[in-house]
Amino acid sequence: MQVHADEAKYMTAPAQAGEGTPAAFEEAYLQFAPLLRKIAVKKFGIPMSDAEPLVHDVFATYFTHADEVNDVGPYLVGGICNAARHHLRRADARDALFCGEIPCAAAPTESILHEVERKLLLRRLLARIGSRCRDLLHRYYLIGESTSTIAGALHFKPMTVLICLSKCRKRALEAYHSMTEKPRT
Amino acid sequence: MSHIPEGELALYAAQPEAIAEGRGAEIAVHLAKCAECQEAHDFFAIREDDLGEDLADPDTWEPIIGSATQASLMEYGARVGEEDRDAEFLLEPYLKNPITAAWTTILAKRRYRTGGVVRKLNTAAHSICESKPRVALTFADAAIAVAEALPDDLYPARAVYRLRGTAWKERANAQMLLGQLPQAHESLDRAERAYGKTPHNGLGLAIVALVRAGVLYTQSKLDEAMVMAERAEHGFAHAGDAKRRMDAAFLRGEILLEAGDANSALPIFRRIIEHGENTQSASWIAHGSYGAGNCEVERRNLGEASLHFHRALVIFRKNGPEPDRVFTDWGIARVMFQGGKLAEGIRRLRDVAAEFENLGMVTFAAEVGLDISEGLLALNRPTEIVVLAEHLFSTFTNAGILTGALSAIAYLKEAAAAKRLTQGDVEAIRVFLRRAERQPSLQFVRPPQTR
Repeated sequence: MQVHADEAKYMTAPAQAGEGTPAAFEEAYLQFAPLLRKIAVKKFGIPMSDAEPLVHDVFATYFTHADEVNDVGPYLVGGICNAARHHLRRADARDALFCGEIPCAAAPTESILHEVERKLLLRRLLARIGSRCRDLLHRYYLIGESTSTIAGALHFKPMTVLICLSKCRKRALEAYHSMTEKPRT
Repeated sequence: MSHIPEGELALYAAQPEAIAEGRGAEIAVHLAKCAECQEAHDFFAIREDDLGEDLADPDTWEPIIGSATQASLMEYGARVGEEDRDAEFLLEPYLKNPITAAWTTILAKRRYRTGGVVRKLNTAAHSICESKPRVALTFADAAIAVAEALPDDLYPARAVYRLRGTAWKERANAQMLLGQLPQAHESLDRAERAYGKTPHNGLGLAIVALVRAGVLYTQSKLDEAMVMAERAEHGFAHAGDAKRRMDAAFLRGEILLEAGDANSALPIFRRIIEHGENTQSASWIAHGSYGAGNCEVERRNLGEASLHFHRALVIFRKNGPEPDRVFTDWGIARVMFQGGKLAEGIRRLRDVAAEFENLGMVTFAAEVGLDISEGLLALNRPTEIVVLAEHLFSTFTNAGILTGALSAIAYLKEAAAAKRLTQGDVEAIRVFLRRAERQPSLQFVRPPQTR
């Protein structure tokens, strides 16, 4: 029997840290939490605020019996699907645990997997681009500060912020595309 | 031609509305003519749809800035790790020397009442379940005692129920191997109830279904065993556990074979071989080949059977486990036997029986003895059956197996000595021995005399 193509895509890479150790837990969390959130939000339509506790509980359950789990990725994906179904009460608990389809209809799609893969790459990238660029991108994109607010805080001219921002973004994007082997045309 | 200043280009690219209307038009005209400025503009005008959206997602920043979920889980993970280290230290002397009396004492101590102790005991029980089921039962009982004493809210997500479920499941495993089959079902009920309280995890329930299938199979309740094995396989598919999924599939094949439906069992074993080939798992190739060989024996495709058994044998000889290698040799001997090479088959079967005895697997040695008896019966050599039965009787007695199996072997000897042993008698004894292996309290009922 062949491993289904969709399943193979989120098979766990060989663990780097010892299973059941805090380092291994962190590695698993950082690798799979984005995917679990995406599945809960995009596949089940659960609001992010509700999805976060589900992700938390799936990991907490996993940490409690990590040594019983043969393949972490598929296990966690199965866990979030069950947790999401349970949360939505779309089916009774029995159906939630053993729904009728294989692979599960809620298994992550190509686009979700691609998005998560992109995001994981971006994380690695952000760790490398230097603290100034990182701080700038963080303020602008995540916190949503305007260029003039950033300029005020950093004692720059707004135009300088724009230029720095562009350069940082460009640097990030080039590195990102080189990592994904998809050069921007 | 003078170029557009970099800052102005950047502003035009990022926020064109911030540029005065007339100046914006001038820049647009210039860009159409100046490749150098166009290139600089493109530099600043990076489309953000693929990068900007990801950069605005807190997920992207989590390893750098952290999150409440991450902080909480890492704290919890560290606590679990600490509990496990403590448990390792606390339990080491007791796991090495598992005297039942000691458990009552230590379990009364508060410092032993941790999730780490339950995890450690569960793991210990699981690791020795097949080789020392009685000790495994002791560990599982101790795990249950601790797990049930833990507060329900000890862990987030009601995860303490996961530990309880596993403790009960380990108890059921040990009980199954000890032949305490009704008790095993009760333990599985408890495991199921506990696992059912952690809705995030279908894996536990699938494991319960697999163990229950094993118990039902042992009880020869093949239809019910099949339903459970299917349920387990389905559950493992959803939990993404390919290994356990194959375990469940293998059991389904065994159940079908036991039910005499080799035609339905064969595709399952072929699937297992294919899985082994796809995942480069020699173990699955060997186990699937062994199962397929047994199917082909039943289907009288002896050439095919031989190919499968030899494929399995090469792997088991190299990688073990030794008992599985002996089972495969048994299969090859049966192929010879059915192919009409009775003398050669009997010689090989005697070797296999001796190897089972050396491994302490006396019931299987007796089953091989019954195969030999069939051959000797066909060759009209009943005296040798008497000698064989005497040997089996002493083997069972020496092994301390004083169950109905002894009566069955005594009957074999008696009937052979009286020259009234039939193939039907041998088959009845075989069925009984298989059941008595897991249900020691079964009593042997002599087959009705047909002549």
